[in-house]
Amino acid sequence: MMQLLKKLHKWVGLLIGIQVILWLLSGLVISLLDPVKVSGRQWVNTTGTSPQIIVPVALLEPAELPAEYVKGALGIDLTIRRGKPAYLIRRTGGETLVNGVDGSLITTGKADAEQLALQDFSGDGEVISVEQGMAPDMETRDHTGAYWRINFADKANTAIYIAASTGRILERRNSYWRVRDFFWMLHIMDYPGRQNFNHPLIITVVLIAIWLGISGFLLLFGSFNRHDFFFLRIPGKRDDVVIILIDPMAGDPRPVVLRKGSNLFLSLATHGVSLPSLCGGGGECGKCRVRFEVTGLPETKDLDLRLVPKRLREKGYRLACQHIAGNNITLYLPEGTLAPLK
Amino acid sequence: MLLLKSPVIARTLHKWLGLFVGLQVLIWLGTGLYMVVVDIDFIHGDSLVRNMQKTVLVPDHSMLGIASLREQYQDATKISLRPVMGKTFYSVTTVDHRYLVDPKTGAVKSPLDEKTAREIARYHYAGEAQMSNASLISSSPPMEIQTRRLPLWRIDFNDRFATSFYIDPYNGSLATRRHLYWRIFDFFWALHIMDYQDRSDAHNQLLIAAQITGLTFGVTGLWLLFYSFSGRSRKKGDAVK
Repeated sequence: MMQLLKKLHKWVGLLIGIQVILWLLSGLVISLLDPVKVSGRQWVNTTGTSPQIIVPVALLEPAELPAEYVKGALGIDLTIRRGKPAYLIRRTGGETLVNGVDGSLITTGKADAEQLALQDFSGDGEVISVEQGMAPDMETRDHTGAYWRINFADKANTAIYIAASTGRILERRNSYWRVRDFFWMLHIMDYPGRQNFNHPLIITVVLIAIWLGISGFLLLFGSFNRHDFFFLRIPGKRDDVVIILIDPMAGDPRPVVLRKGSNLFLSLATHGVSLPSLCGGGGECGKCRVRFEVTGLPETKDLDLRLVPKRLREKGYRLACQHIAGNNITLYLPEGTLAPLK
Repeated sequence: MLLLKSPVIARTLHKWLGLFVGLQVLIWLGTGLYMVVVDIDFIHGDSLVRNMQKTVLVPDHSMLGIASLREQYQDATKISLRPVMGKTFYSVTTVDHRYLVDPKTGAVKSPLDEKTAREIARYHYAGEAQMSNASLISSSPPMEIQTRRLPLWRIDFNDRFATSFYIDPYNGSLATRRHLYWRIFDFFWALHIMDYQDRSDAHNQLLIAAQITGLTFGVTGLWLLFYSFSGRSRKKGDAVK
């Protein structure tokens, strides 16, 4: 059962391991970024932005607004904009701003847009350039219609987007947002649009990753034994065993003191005795064979049966990674494991 | 430990880090699965509402004009025309208050009473289910309308989604809607970003600590893959030796 889980875990890891790393990495980057900087709120000038009282001048009535603007309106707001009363008319296709006194259409030219952006921006840096955009790009993807992009020379490379129709601030973008957006794309795996996380690719990969998670979680139970938690024991109650190591190439036997119950492969490794291994004690490669003396020979484990030939098992060979330091015993190591004493 | 070879280090780290963040990794996966599988427009309740994009009718000269409104509300900062149940009303915002005004008579309709709030909820509700409770929430709002301007009427429906509509008594709008799957999403989002209090701040230290641990855990796992597929093919040769 554990072997099956391990196999599943390995192969699923091979299949989608990179994406799991990308999820963890992109998640980390996103949460490290300060949302106040990402949204640009850090550099918004809030003085003088509270709503102004509508001044008592002769205003057009809604009924007097040009019919072409009012047709199909979902809502009409009379407010003070840029110091003057104006009607904002909202329709399905977008918004129109109309002068509250004479009903003329208000549009936002290049100079107006730059002025509005300068009023909004409180960071350090001059305006570098003002560009016009006709259709939404990656940074203005939530909007429709023409806009101005005002680029600032601040450290965060701020760009403020202003609607060419109403002069409304559409977005405040900066390097923090751009980094976040790139990692968000990796996180939700929507490479062209960076917005949709309900797509078949990510659903498939998440479903596969769940197998990785569940198999890994179940494997946890098999990979720990109570001796791994020795540090929770009452101090002083430590229980040791002495293992005599014999390497025919190295001369005299060498005794090592190991914590009773600890994994042989790992304990020997921490004592500087590196048994041959490719997998690092994972029960994969079958290389960490040692020969037990007959008196201390443990029962064979599943992986001994699989990875150690019968002929050798009968001679007392076992995989060190599958056994614990249980008693005072003598172990014969592969030749050359212990450095020759000089 | 310096003496240990890299696969031993990777294996030991992977095992122990798995013990510490394994459960959270499963939570990330499980909550992530819910979020990617359940359509976000459904979560937002788009399928529960109707009559959301009604056009306004501009009052003619026989009705109350802007001039008289401005006389009555001298500190008005915004005067809007907005549809409420298909009829057009004036919505006046002053420096510190809001009013819903009948454009024919000038009568102030706000704050709307329970009966009207229920009518508005019914008007926007796309389902057939009966309404149950209605309550006016003026303070200590539930988590699900934490960031909304109060007061709001909460109208509950007896449908299988446990839908609640929130109606603004000062402008008659459907401020927001919530339902079971939204609430699950919100709870899962809290678990996903490990912000159990406000459910909104992904820039928190607990999450960052878990992510660093998780990333190390993941990288050691990937690292182990290099060792886990090696050696098997040479097994037979070794056995004979």
